[in-house]
Amino acid sequence: MNFYECNLHALPDGSDSPSRMALAARRLGYSGIIVCNHMTTGRAFGIDAARLVGGIEVVIGFEIVATDQRNLHAKAASLRDKADFLAVHGGDEKINRAACEDPNVDLLAHPHEGRTGIGVAAAKAARDNQVAICLDLGPMIRLRGVARVRWMEVVRRDLDLIRKFDLNLMISTGARSHLDLRSPRDLVALACLFGLERDRAVEALALPKSILDLNRRRWTSVGVELF
Amino acid sequence: MRSWLPVLRDRRRYIAFELEAEDRVKRGDLIGEIRAAQTSLFGDLGSAENRLRMITFDGRFGLLRCTHSRTEECRALLATVNSVGGTRAAIRVRGISGSIKTATEKYIPQSILQPDENKRRVDLGPVSGSVVRVIGREIDLCPDDRKITEGSGTRYVGLTSFDLCGEDIDADGTSDGL
Repeated sequence: MNFYECNLHALPDGSDSPSRMALAARRLGYSGIIVCNHMTTGRAFGIDAARLVGGIEVVIGFEIVATDQRNLHAKAASLRDKADFLAVHGGDEKINRAACEDPNVDLLAHPHEGRTGIGVAAAKAARDNQVAICLDLGPMIRLRGVARVRWMEVVRRDLDLIRKFDLNLMISTGARSHLDLRSPRDLVALACLFGLERDRAVEALALPKSILDLNRRRWTSVGVELF
Repeated sequence: MRSWLPVLRDRRRYIAFELEAEDRVKRGDLIGEIRAAQTSLFGDLGSAENRLRMITFDGRFGLLRCTHSRTEECRALLATVNSVGGTRAAIRVRGISGSIKTATEKYIPQSILQPDENKRRVDLGPVSGSVVRVIGREIDLCPDDRKITEGSGTRYVGLTSFDLCGEDIDADGTSDGL
């Protein structure tokens, strides 16, 4: 299977260069990584060096940080042609909803950072606009005790929604250093603790590859491809 | 240990793991951290069913024992370990096997390259600092500007030889030098 880590933060957002992330990810069994630095911190350092690493594909995407809904739609529309992969910095209820309503967006990253999660209306919108929801397992690794319990409650509820509306799901760690990365099998084992089926979790890790392939084809309009 | 009826003896699996850490880690600290992660994730009741024991640990590679039916849970709890005794660390499961002998032979390499200890300076525009250690192609850098690692909670900046000399095209070397 082609497993991709879909939401990494490299220097200057995290503490590792993209090539170090690529080496670590290759050793863990990934066939590609998508470096999604926040738009506020700027372009990742040493991208050309990362492309020299053999045996793993390094994709540069963006993570849009928006202040409100209009801001988000404008940024997504302007960045769509420049990047193969567009994520949105989720967590806030309004931003989560706006991201799900925007067909330009590929991934809603860490929507469970706040207390609310995605909710029914946003889930329906995500289904209609084919926006994938990211199950960010970073808090599961980082947090302990009450904070983690709260986070798990939100995730459990949202996984029911994802199952109900059959949404696209991706699994990531939101890593900022090579020490935050976990192997695909570890992530599957963690996701299974939430009651996610094993096959579904494996599918979720392979989904970024198929989204990337879709984005790289040249679409002239909806459903019309240029050869 | 007292002998037990063969039919009642529990079946075991041995998990070979590798510890990636920013600094040297003591065996006792690691055991404590794994125990804490275990009770935090499964509680006392679930932890008792795992029957996790540390068999060996040499500073980098180690062996854990658990019940044969609960290997996936052990994978999950090892994945939640993010720091050991105050240093950032991660546990990578290398493989699971049914006996100590096969786990050691298959998954734990016998010769380990020692990390470089020579201090060198690196200056790359946005990032500068002194090299802490080099393992294969991977380089840990102690940055001059501490703010650069703030968000991730790590002490060092992770770079590779690709970042230092861009024209290097021999890109398929194994990164851990094993």
